[in-house]
Amino acid sequence: MMKKYSVINTPIHNIDGIAKITGRAEYAFDIKLPHMLYGKILRSPYPHAKILKINTKKAEGLTGVKAVVTGKDTLGIKQGIWRRFKELCDEEILARSKVRYIGEPVAAVAAVDEDTAEEALDLIEVEYESLPGVFGPLEAIKQGAPQLHEHAERNINVTRHIEWGDVDEGFKKADHVREDWFRCSSQHHVCMETHNAVASFTPDKKLTVWTSTQSHYYIQVLLSWVLGLRENDVRVISRYTGGGFGSKFELDSAQFCSSLLSMKLFKPVKIILTREEEFMATKRRTPMFYYLRTGVKKDGTFLAKEGRVFTEGGAYTSMGATALYLTGFFQAFPYVWPSYRYDGYRVYTNTAPTSAMRGFGAPQATFCAETQIDLIANDLGIDPIKIRRKNAMYPGYEVPGQATIQSCGLSQCLDKIEKWIKSQGKLPPNRGIGIAAYGFMSGGIFNWFDTPYAFSSAVIQVKIDGKVDLYIGSQDMGQGSNTTMTMICAEELGVQVEDIRLHMGDTESCPVDLGAWGSRETLMQGNAVKMAAAKAKQQIIEYAAAKLSPNIVYDLDIKDRWVHLIARPERGLSYYDVVKEAIRGKDGQPIIARGHYTPHRKGMISPAYSFGVQAVDAEVDPDTGKITLKNCVTAHDCGQVINPLGVKGQLEGAMAMAAGYGFTEDLPMDEGKILNPNLVDYKVLRATEMPETKVIEVETYEPEGPFGAKEAGEGLTNPTAGALGNAVFHATGLSIKNLPITPEKVLEALKEKKKEEKK
Amino acid sequence: MIRDFVYSKAKTVKEALDLLEEHKENYKIICGGQSLLILMRQGLVAPANLIDIKSIEELSYINFKPKDGLKIGAATTHSDIEKSSSVKKHYPVLVSMEKNLASVQTRNWGTIGGNLAHGDPAGDPGPVFIALNATVKIANSERERSIPLEEFFIDYFETVLEDGELLLEVQFPVVPPRTATVYEKFNIIKNDQGIVSVAVSITMEKKGSSCKDARIVLGAAASIPIRAKKAEKLLIGQKLNNGLLEKIGKRASKEADPVADIHASEEYRRHLVEALTKRMVRKAWDQARKPAR
Repeated sequence: MMKKYSVINTPIHNIDGIAKITGRAEYAFDIKLPHMLYGKILRSPYPHAKILKINTKKAEGLTGVKAVVTGKDTLGIKQGIWRRFKELCDEEILARSKVRYIGEPVAAVAAVDEDTAEEALDLIEVEYESLPGVFGPLEAIKQGAPQLHEHAERNINVTRHIEWGDVDEGFKKADHVREDWFRCSSQHHVCMETHNAVASFTPDKKLTVWTSTQSHYYIQVLLSWVLGLRENDVRVISRYTGGGFGSKFELDSAQFCSSLLSMKLFKPVKIILTREEEFMATKRRTPMFYYLRTGVKKDGTFLAKEGRVFTEGGAYTSMGATALYLTGFFQAFPYVWPSYRYDGYRVYTNTAPTSAMRGFGAPQATFCAETQIDLIANDLGIDPIKIRRKNAMYPGYEVPGQATIQSCGLSQCLDKIEKWIKSQGKLPPNRGIGIAAYGFMSGGIFNWFDTPYAFSSAVIQVKIDGKVDLYIGSQDMGQGSNTTMTMICAEELGVQVEDIRLHMGDTESCPVDLGAWGSRETLMQGNAVKMAAAKAKQQIIEYAAAKLSPNIVYDLDIKDRWVHLIARPERGLSYYDVVKEAIRGKDGQPIIARGHYTPHRKGMISPAYSFGVQAVDAEVDPDTGKITLKNCVTAHDCGQVINPLGVKGQLEGAMAMAAGYGFTEDLPMDEGKILNPNLVDYKVLRATEMPETKVIEVETYEPEGPFGAKEAGEGLTNPTAGALGNAVFHATGLSIKNLPITPEKVLEALKEKKKEEKK
Repeated sequence: MIRDFVYSKAKTVKEALDLLEEHKENYKIICGGQSLLILMRQGLVAPANLIDIKSIEELSYINFKPKDGLKIGAATTHSDIEKSSSVKKHYPVLVSMEKNLASVQTRNWGTIGGNLAHGDPAGDPGPVFIALNATVKIANSERERSIPLEEFFIDYFETVLEDGELLLEVQFPVVPPRTATVYEKFNIIKNDQGIVSVAVSITMEKKGSSCKDARIVLGAAASIPIRAKKAEKLLIGQKLNNGLLEKIGKRASKEADPVADIHASEEYRRHLVEALTKRMVRKAWDQARKPAR
């Protein structure tokens, strides 16, 4: 008997690992070109102001300065990633007449070195007329609040409505109705590699940009649009990306300004954002004010839910429209709600724009939903696991008008977590275990970018020595998609990982893929790779069949470099020999095959959904309010696991990021100015704060995914804040509805509780 | 961007003092540079001259003598203190304090003199050293002087060091018998600066179980590390009980003069002073009562 898989489900180290840890991986950061200049960006010190005049004379006169550009040097295109909807394209990147947040770019300089460029920034004279600003969504939506954009009355940027079932009837039937308000804070991606680009425009009018991105295709399209170039006269190279987490698939100021300067000078220009710029002037997680009203039966059966959300949009749309929809959709996850009504409002404010970040609106939704479910369970005296099990989604469930759930291992996840909790026995005082159930998408369906291409494509070329050149459009940003795609290709073709040579991160040689966001790569790029590999395999099998002459051609397969009859595996040929002869037989043409994937008729959101349940065990110090994480156990259904090591890495990374969201990370502001734009004052968790983490895989088979696989990285950021909050609730009896759950908030709540008890 | 400066490197204390004399007020001394370089990069400090004392060998030492106590040269690194066997034996609180001070990289390069001269009220060494009754030796090109560390800090990032003066040495007296010194800082991320910190040193009477002497020092609770002297007085001559502990915590909290920032409100800092003071007094008391090993 042959093993079902020879590559898949084997722990394989990241194929880029050695290049990265030995420092040989070449990031855009590392690119140095002859005659290269360095750029710096002048940013607005005002949260809201008119630009009256910009005088660049003095800066241009400084020795070593080669060029200064302002909004006047641009085509003045308001760009955005929701290209299908013009009113949602609202960001110029280099402001021409008005600035709307502190840090918005107003000019850029290219000079012989960074110091000179920075000195030149001080010499640019910008005359502003300061305007009144508005900083929170609840204030900005009020009548008479300062208006950021002419087209947006009451600063309403986007609204979203989702509804199914008879909500009012559901509440009438409910035995218990609960209302709660929540506040979800902001969070920064904190990529190790800050946004940066080297742009080189040559006299043949071609632009090459090395950059750190999650989608070289998006950057190619957006740059060609705002610069007035043909799409394929712009080449974007992104071999390695030092972290993305949602921050790097929109066009950024480093890419745009370095390109503009290079086009003016015909010389390469490099711009690297400082950590401070990264904090102040790149995108961040969307803060949300959440109102939830929920009606249930006495026995815990869910009947009706109503959600209303006001999100702090910041100055521009960015990916905010997506976050607003997804938070509404995932608010009803992963349960069966007979009726549901959601209204979301994204409101412009004079703060740094908010956009995509790992989870994309779902961590906020999950925090609020899971906190409230524990409160309801407590009100009714029902066990938190039981109430979730009673209402859990199941395979084949249809979210009315939105989605069809195919594979779903949620119930098994609940069983595993219940078993783990029981194994912990009675906890000491001030300790608690909280749980949260979650789900997430495996790639988005909606084509807001308006691409005419397939969502994902792959090309395979098999060479004479059996080496396989795999060309993919997806972007590895550390999540391990290069390894995943190599494994899928090797498995399908019947070879080993070392037989594959991967080509990625270059719009010139790679087929189009929309990029690494929305947890789409494993399923979408994976399907395209699998299709290409299957087609290449078919060509090889055709030649082998001629030699082996079995009864019917479908009886052949390749596994671990052995081309054989499925029914009689011992009868076969070496893959290497067959390839050689097959190519000879094709008049010397290598074996080439293409694969592609675009979801069709898969609902509104995604072709497949991951599920899971996380338990967080935490201790609360009653004297100081300090929370210490003790254990974190996650039962996770990501379909067929491709690379167990990859899943483990994603889980641990997600846990650190999501726990940070839960209790340490925040971006406090004063009139739109971020007060902690550095890694001393912005508190990212370190290894010392990480609890023991454990992942329990619940394997299901997802019919829509390659080998049955689905999302395994982003969804893991959804449960932690909620599970942590619930752990605090079970340790202290206090439910904190305002993220992050800082020791000070816990202590205040403890004091309140003591006062109440005295009464 | 770091503004241009003239860099000079001193090899001896004399060379350093001459350089300070030469450049008058327009200089900054750099040793490990762990605090200074951050300020320079942010443009908050832009000295015309930078005088590097990191290579002055005669400033890097740890000497312990049973009769005189401990002397540490200003250019000694945190790591050297952390790993010194005589420090571990006679002043163990310094080892535990150093272990939680910033990162390994910072401890390997940062120096004790630099830390004190930076004058950050949230620094770890200040409160612990004051609890141990430390003195600092300071010199300019003409004279030397010694002052208790308690009088060294003036305000946020400001010390008594005058133009032309260099911090040479920290001196710790012999620890009296039946004394315990303990320290804790409150933070969310281990090894971060404390949101509040408290050092407590308690010496017991020879016979019986009352307190002979006590020092309670608060970090990040005012513009400089301060002693909670009224709280100390409550304890001296007394036996510790829960009621007294409550009073001491409350008094220390009153003596604190914290400010609000993004990490904590003033009220929460006061609360932390109370909680940590109680915890540290209890811990020091229990340790000081134990018979010497």
